[in-house]
Amino acid sequence: MNRLRAWCLAPTASVLLTLYLAPLAILLLYTLLTRGAYGGTSLPWTIENWQRLLDPLYLVILGRSFAVALVSTLICLLLGFPLALFIARSGPRRHIWLYLVILPFWTSFLVRTYAWMFLLRDTGLINSALLALGIIQEPLPLLYNYGAVILGLVYGYLPFMVLPLYATLERLDPSLLEAAADLGARPWQTIRRVIIPLSLPGIRAGSLLVFIPCLGAYLTPDLLGGGKTILVGTLIQNQFTSARDWPFGAALSLGVMAVVMLLLMSLIRRQDEGVL
Amino acid sequence: MRLLPAYAAAAFLFLHLPLLVLAVFSFNESRFTVWEGFSLRWYRAAFSDAQLIEATWNSLLIGAAATVLATAAGALCAYGLWKRASRWLSASLSLSLVTPEIVMGISLLALFQWAFRFLGVRLGMHTVILAHVMFCLAYVVIVVLARLRTMDRSLEEAALDLGATEWQAFRRVTLPLLAPGVGAAALLAFTISFDDYVITSLVAGVDSETLPMVLYAIARRGANPVVNAISTLIVFGLGLLILIAERLRET
Amino acid sequence: MRRRAFFLSLAGAAGCTPRTQRLNVFNWSNYIASDTLARFEAETGVRVRYAVYESNEEMLARVMSGNSGWDVVFPTHYFIEPMREMGLLQKLDLALLPNRLDLFPEFQTPAWDPRLAWSMPYMWGCSGILYHERVQPPPRRWADLWDNRFRGRLTMLDDPAEVLGAALLKLGLPLNATDPAMLRRAQAEAIRQKPLVRAYLNAEVRDQMVAGDILACQLWATTAQQAIDESPELRFAFPEEGFPLYSDCAAVLKESGRPELAHRFIDFLLRPDVGAAIVTESRTATCNLAALRQIPEPLPPTLHLDPNVLARGQWFAAMPSPAQRLRDRLWTEIKSA
Repeated sequence: MNRLRAWCLAPTASVLLTLYLAPLAILLLYTLLTRGAYGGTSLPWTIENWQRLLDPLYLVILGRSFAVALVSTLICLLLGFPLALFIARSGPRRHIWLYLVILPFWTSFLVRTYAWMFLLRDTGLINSALLALGIIQEPLPLLYNYGAVILGLVYGYLPFMVLPLYATLERLDPSLLEAAADLGARPWQTIRRVIIPLSLPGIRAGSLLVFIPCLGAYLTPDLLGGGKTILVGTLIQNQFTSARDWPFGAALSLGVMAVVMLLLMSLIRRQDEGVL
Repeated sequence: MRLLPAYAAAAFLFLHLPLLVLAVFSFNESRFTVWEGFSLRWYRAAFSDAQLIEATWNSLLIGAAATVLATAAGALCAYGLWKRASRWLSASLSLSLVTPEIVMGISLLALFQWAFRFLGVRLGMHTVILAHVMFCLAYVVIVVLARLRTMDRSLEEAALDLGATEWQAFRRVTLPLLAPGVGAAALLAFTISFDDYVITSLVAGVDSETLPMVLYAIARRGANPVVNAISTLIVFGLGLLILIAERLRET
Repeated sequence: MRRRAFFLSLAGAAGCTPRTQRLNVFNWSNYIASDTLARFEAETGVRVRYAVYESNEEMLARVMSGNSGWDVVFPTHYFIEPMREMGLLQKLDLALLPNRLDLFPEFQTPAWDPRLAWSMPYMWGCSGILYHERVQPPPRRWADLWDNRFRGRLTMLDDPAEVLGAALLKLGLPLNATDPAMLRRAQAEAIRQKPLVRAYLNAEVRDQMVAGDILACQLWATTAQQAIDESPELRFAFPEEGFPLYSDCAAVLKESGRPELAHRFIDFLLRPDVGAAIVTESRTATCNLAALRQIPEPLPPTLHLDPNVLARGQWFAAMPSPAQRLRDRLWTEIKSA
């Protein structure tokens, strides 16, 4: 039993060690260095980068990013659950529906975001339609605000919610639902008391797969937020690009990761209930 | 429950609206949002752009390689974890999920910098594929594991009782039941790989420009309908491929 | 294991280089003509792999590790010294660059590299105000962009140096101020302006100006000219308080194993006829005097400055580390405000 298991885990373990943990160790090393005169890293050793993290400026940015990610995840869940349910119950045609969900995401993310910009702009399609129909007199500022960012994030990460949900819902035993109906439960009650509890692994997996990228998102807030707001993903990106302050960027990254890990660990009670 | 199909239709419309918009305006004669007549000029421009074609090819190659590797390794890993949990492996995978893309990209860049110093390894297709396998792994494991957790362990035990080896039990009992989950995971992995910009742009070499990188550069300079044409082509091309694959599966 | 090796070797084979000589050039977008590379390849038999970037940071991130594979890059002038200090550049062999004498005299002894030891000026530019002609009276100074009439119809560049630069010039302070007190005053101005700003955008704003979404924006002259070419209702103004000047220069990376080919390419770009073809097609402001003399039509005023206007310009300078850290922090505060 153990031999098979060892062989199963070996490839992933070796990939993780060389391509994830080793680079992360290098990054950890960087957090203790100083920014070079023109960028990059240099000696002397210092803990100043970690001290900078406690600055209220950065804590506020982190808080905002959490809020945005949370809202996006909730909306994804609300929108994705019925969709995953539909696909799971759609019989032999379900693969086509699955592919239809994924297909938009095989075009470049950037391109789809630009399509949304095109739709949301002051002279974009949505505003033009609303003006033409006389519903509004002045164009609505749909772009370059938090709403647009959340819309972009939800749109971008919906399949990450739908796929794990589908994977669990597909396994749902239809006889359980029949039994609930026989016992007099209405559809809404069945959903609430049978389907949702049974699909908790999928909900957890999907929420995690959406929340975390949303937290560290860079392109969407950059393009749809118009640069007027700064979330944690952009902040980190800035450290490695325009600020060229690798040590602080590394400290920021590892700091954010630590906070999220703490959250994850506090939400997971037993080993078996974890996502991984 | 009756409303479900109607809701699904609305959801699919939401998902495909930007694509429809892109497709419609890829046939627009004008560069701008005013419709000036039907035209194929952007498609002609797309096909004559050698850089775009090479980038698309690179993306497909990288996506295919990374998907195969990540799905194989990840599915096996999920199975192993399902049998008995491994604290450090789960923790590392969780951590890799929590890592922002820019961080993973920079850390891999730092690693490849060292690799260059001591092994002379330059940035190129191989570094991109390795990076893609890395960031797809955790997603594959999560999806497959979620599916495994809804499965009955006693099925495998029954097979073992009937005299099958571990490997046979896995191959003939668990794997077929797992297949849709693995398929979903592979789909997710390909999507993530094909779409990635941040990490790829950092670890790509001179010869490994991918489609997102080219599109980013074009789109950064302002809306360009050539981008619309490419996207429409990709979606319809892949869509057709999938339809054919579905037909083949059903025969 | 074997499967993995097989796939990796497939990928490696895809990246193999053929026998012909190669040169890898990394440049800003829209900086060559459509036939430039073909002409070079025809004359020298060297295959050029050409890719583009949109910002110095993007380029630097790629070449910083020293194993990127690029040979020739085009950093903006204030990046030359930092890149040199980081050990990223090779010294230029001026004997291989005879065409450099075609450059404007000012660019033959530029402030950032007086002996042209590391960089060869290629294109130059500046930033100013692009506005719609129906904005009356037209904006003439940076200070005009703080006017309430632009509320929600104004954009600024998404660049700390440019935004703080505009604020500094508005206050009558030098563009390259490093004094913390001056920078903080500039930051206060930028925060005051923020409610008026619709977004901080770079080249993307061009389409929105043409469409009429935005009435006025801070933009680079070359990009502004592209917008004006598409919509004659747009105008460009060089602010009276002064404006930033910059020059994108050719440089050879230290990691390049093909310095002679790299020099040949740079010298090729410096040829008057080649330069003229590039300028005519891409509508950029060249540093090459001989090339300028060969173009059929005169360039619009955004691309070829009147000496009186040019006198108001100030060249960006590389910032010392403490000042840059402060500026980055101030920029984060502005964005977070």
